[in-house]
Amino acid sequence: MSVKTKKMTLAQKVKKHKHLIPFVIPAILFALVFCYLPMAGIVIAFKDNPNFVRYDVFEALSRADWTMENFEKIFSDPEIFSVVKNTLIISIMKIVILFPLPVVLAVMITELRSKRFSKLVQGVVFLPHFFSWVVIVGIFNSIFGLYGPVNNFVEILGGEATHFMGEPGWFRWLVVILSGWKEIGYSSIVYIAAIMSIDPSLYEAAKIDGASKLKQIWSITIPSILPTIIVMLIIRIGYLMDAGFEQVYAMLNPNTQATGEIIGTYVYKLGLGYAKNDYGLSTAVGLLNGLISMALILGANYISKKKTGSGVW
Amino acid sequence: MKKILSLILCVAMLLSSMLAITSCKGGGGNGGGNGGGNGGGGDEINLNLDLSKKPTLKVLMPNSGKSIESVNDNVNAALIEQLTGYKVEYTQLPAVDAGKTLNTELMDKKQYDAMKLTKDQFSDLVNQDLLVDLTDALDVYGKDILANISDESWDVVTIDGRIYGIPERASSDNIENPIVLNNDLMLKLGLDEPETLEDFTNVLKEMSAYLGKPALTFDKYTPLVYAISAAFGIYSYWQEYTVNGKTEVLFYMNAPGYKDYIDYMNNLYNLGYIDVEVVTNTAADATTRFVKGFQSGSDGAKAGAFACSLWSVPSIVTSLQSNGIINANQAAGELDDYLYYVRSLKKNASDAEKVYRSSGYTYITAIPYYMAENAGYAIDWMNSKIKDTETEDNFRQMVLGTEGTHYSKDANGNYFPIDPAFAEKDDASYYMTGSNENKYTEYWKARVRKQAELFRAWSELMEDADTVGVYNIVDFTPPIEDYNSNRSAIEEYAQNQFYIMLKNGSGELNNYLTQLNGSKGCKEATDAINEWYK
Repeated sequence: MSVKTKKMTLAQKVKKHKHLIPFVIPAILFALVFCYLPMAGIVIAFKDNPNFVRYDVFEALSRADWTMENFEKIFSDPEIFSVVKNTLIISIMKIVILFPLPVVLAVMITELRSKRFSKLVQGVVFLPHFFSWVVIVGIFNSIFGLYGPVNNFVEILGGEATHFMGEPGWFRWLVVILSGWKEIGYSSIVYIAAIMSIDPSLYEAAKIDGASKLKQIWSITIPSILPTIIVMLIIRIGYLMDAGFEQVYAMLNPNTQATGEIIGTYVYKLGLGYAKNDYGLSTAVGLLNGLISMALILGANYISKKKTGSGVW
Repeated sequence: MKKILSLILCVAMLLSSMLAITSCKGGGGNGGGNGGGNGGGGDEINLNLDLSKKPTLKVLMPNSGKSIESVNDNVNAALIEQLTGYKVEYTQLPAVDAGKTLNTELMDKKQYDAMKLTKDQFSDLVNQDLLVDLTDALDVYGKDILANISDESWDVVTIDGRIYGIPERASSDNIENPIVLNNDLMLKLGLDEPETLEDFTNVLKEMSAYLGKPALTFDKYTPLVYAISAAFGIYSYWQEYTVNGKTEVLFYMNAPGYKDYIDYMNNLYNLGYIDVEVVTNTAADATTRFVKGFQSGSDGAKAGAFACSLWSVPSIVTSLQSNGIINANQAAGELDDYLYYVRSLKKNASDAEKVYRSSGYTYITAIPYYMAENAGYAIDWMNSKIKDTETEDNFRQMVLGTEGTHYSKDANGNYFPIDPAFAEKDDASYYMTGSNENKYTEYWKARVRKQAELFRAWSELMEDADTVGVYNIVDFTPPIEDYNSNRSAIEEYAQNQFYIMLKNGSGELNNYLTQLNGSKGCKEATDAINEWYK
């Protein structure tokens, strides 16, 4: 009975929103073709080195034996634990330190009185997002280099020059600093948009009641954009296992490997970076990575719903 | 509504997790063989081709660092077309992930009549059974190829008695990894040319004190400073060692002298004689530091000794000139007052000198299996390029050009370049598909003679090369799957650990060796190499 009612509702909804349906079709097709279809490729993780070059996909897969060897390899690798640890530490540092900053920046930008100045600031802080990581790391290599400005400053203050890029203790901090420098501006777009859509009458009312600027931000702006913040946070947590491959790959050197090697760079080396083309192993790691990310996102959503009442679904 | 929403979100979520997977597996999922069938076809080589009908050949080349248009328009390409009668369309692999691209291209059955591959790429393709067996076709179409390439070289491309590619032997077996010293500084400080490790430590000590900076620099790809490791009995990546009465081929990190080598380097590092930034230095950074060591009073990084490749000499000379340290006249001559080359150090002055001598096969040209039928044309083309007799001197024209225009020859049979026409020949080796081993080394010396200082350096390093030179054994192996598939993992691991130990000492060496021989696959590789070497 209840099933029938639901079906009715769906049909009614379809009827009601029929003009919107064409807009969704490309997205659904995209998801089907690029996300669901390739998922069949997971099977590679359970196959013993299929020869994709000589044979077509299906023949290659059917020729290869079933195996769990790829997963055995992952779990028997002593390095894997330190790699996962590094990934989580870097990711959490990025979230704790860098997640709130775009919100603060967005509030600051929207509070600017001069519209032109506000646009200028926005433009300037967005800019680094469009540089490639290799370029940025190159720039920072000289800034933090032994003879660069940072060390000159340290020496003026009576300290000793440090090769920051080669210090395992500094590596994670540098990752966070560089990542912040590059992405904070760009991440603030969403919040700026959310703040723009707050009803101005709320502020007017608050002003009449004598609320200070800070009070207005705290009691109107933040609560109004809280749902946006939470959605962004949940999405961000979904990427917890990805600590920023491109960035870390560009920054890593042998001396910082102990604290800096993350899942992304490790998988790259393991499966693709060497002449190996070990698709099986890479797929296996990717599959585990995906499963963990899914668990994290579900967990974050559950907690958020419990605590704040709002979640993604 | 809620259900639809959750469905959409589910999709989004799966999308993000799938992104991780698809991006990792490098698009190996779908795709499959489209194309194929047109042209080529059968797996059998047609041994009765009519060679007078010369089709246009499509040839896949390694990355040239230039646009593909300029590769096709190059004067050397035009010359080859004129000499062989074959029109060739060149395509090149990308600079990054060339191996992966190569695999995808073959997956798509791209119509290449020939592919110029690195040894690793060749081995990868042979192991996947993707190359044509050329043995019988060479007897028909490749008589000059067979005559001008040595048996030693054929071994490199032979598997179970069958030939799968045409090897291109390195131009010359060079000793080419010296430590270059700032001789100006040596003379100023009254230092003797170092022969032993002790001498060398002292040179670095004096230089470092004078410069106020660590004196020895190199780049981030130098895990073996050959001149130094030679003193510890390590001459090349893979060589024979006798450990506990057992003689076998070992990787350098497993060598008995490796710990001592690390301890010596770590000691230099701790004493402040080695550039702290070697771990991030590019060759250009290191060159700049070395050149700055000639200038008095300049700030920033400086060095007085540079462990580099012989092929850095031209850029050192150019840089010395552009920084006003030498003038154009000096740059064109020999620079004994400025540069001194140490090819190897010894533990004791009485020890016999031994040092690494490079060799091997830069490239191997092969044909994909689905192009077998017309392989004869490609072989005929390569055969024509390698001919070098009194009547047909295609190879000489390709490498040296025309006598009197591009090069001259003295009474002793030495070849000399003629400026500026010879510059045309800078790219000649790129277009080579297999080298005429009877002639190439002599021709190639014309290139070294392009710069007086380079030739001086080369000649000094090559003195008694046949007695002191030690080869890297794997330069001469045929494809060995357990070695070739683990090679980059082993070498990269060893390189990384070197820079770590340079800083932290050899304390963790045993752990590193366990990793190297275990998960990095060095044990498998060592066994396979020894199996072949016996």
